[in-house]
Amino acid sequence: MVHDDYKEMIPARALSALDAAEEQALNEHLENCAECRKDLEDWQATAAALSLTPDPAEPSPQVRERILSEVRKDLSSSTPEVIPFRSTPKRNIWSSFGSLGAIAAVVLLTALVIGLAVLWRQNQRFTRDREFVELVNTPGARVSELSGVDPGQVATAKLAYDRTGRAILMASKLPSVPQGKAYQLWFIAGNKPPMPGKTFVPDSAGNAVLKDELPREALDANVFAITVEPASGSTAPTSPIYLRSF
Amino acid sequence: MQPEDDVKLLKAIAARDEAALAQLYDRYRVILFGLLMRILNNREEAEDVLQEVFLQVWRKAEDFDENRGRPFTWLVTLGRSRGIDRLRTLAARDRVAEAGAREAIEEISDAATDAFKSEQRGLVNKALAQLPDEQKRPLMLAYFDGLTQSEIATRLDAPLGTVKTRMRTGLMNLREQLAGKGESFGF
Repeated sequence: MVHDDYKEMIPARALSALDAAEEQALNEHLENCAECRKDLEDWQATAAALSLTPDPAEPSPQVRERILSEVRKDLSSSTPEVIPFRSTPKRNIWSSFGSLGAIAAVVLLTALVIGLAVLWRQNQRFTRDREFVELVNTPGARVSELSGVDPGQVATAKLAYDRTGRAILMASKLPSVPQGKAYQLWFIAGNKPPMPGKTFVPDSAGNAVLKDELPREALDANVFAITVEPASGSTAPTSPIYLRSF
Repeated sequence: MQPEDDVKLLKAIAARDEAALAQLYDRYRVILFGLLMRILNNREEAEDVLQEVFLQVWRKAEDFDENRGRPFTWLVTLGRSRGIDRLRTLAARDRVAEAGAREAIEEISDAATDAFKSEQRGLVNKALAQLPDEQKRPLMLAYFDGLTQSEIATRLDAPLGTVKTRMRTGLMNLREQLAGKGESFGF
């Protein structure tokens, strides 16, 4: 067979309608013919149009649940690179430092961080807690707890919101984000695409308080999530979920 | 529905973004499920294959190459392929196919059938309607029933060469009818 013979077979190949021997011969040709490979891609696009001709049909909601359940199982058993900004893998800390000086530095740094955290808490806690409690006590208010997708994560958050859409997110133990990045809150209602909330950056102790307004459609949200996005925010999530309500 | 958005979603899925997979599912579930129902004519089987398809998307999203085709084509080709695989392995295929009345299909919400899909579907159906039946039948038997050209020749009691010509001509005519609309189609 020559090139043109193979070329004639490509539309049928796009419909996977070639007999086995022909398909094998064409596949061997495709390995060495970029033109025919491109042709096949084009014909496959045309064939794909046929997928639109049946009546659209709605699968049961359980299918979505089953898929996402499998995905979560996969994520919970997956490798560390799945989750961004995860803390470094656990290791024997004492074997990681070569000198007492390094240990002393860690002790000092730890003391500094604790000191800063205590100061921050003293200065901020009253205000934010009062606002949060006020919101929670508003009639019809709800509180949703967010936790890590990965069981090893320590970061947590609580989102309180009322029926007017007023919302306060309090997060703690969040890892810092790289330059130009920020955390972003998402509201997910049913099967609709996630609705973007505001972005925020935690303080040096990993705490963050975010005041946001839920869009009207987000009042029915059953899932709240946090991802890492560009600091300017995204209209659709571009990274894996870091924290979410369950 | 914009192809570039789908590309972003597939990239996010390849980066293990669960929400992106949910979004892709919400975007394409009614098209793919409609396709699988057309192929399998059995709700339970179609739902099972739909689940397989999206789990395969989850595992294989990194294989998608935007230089080699649109996400729509990739997804639909994958879905159709799994559907045909299931059809071929169903021992009770004839029983399923001849079960008579099509299974009830739930009403589709407005949100699930956006204007884009309805418009596209109308265009493809219109293009197909303009094909002579002798060209259309081989296309449909291949695409939805998974028959090879030889099997179609037997089914239609037509010479193999004739079936090959009609199938090729039919797909070429379909492409011509849809020419210029490809960009808005997303494939």
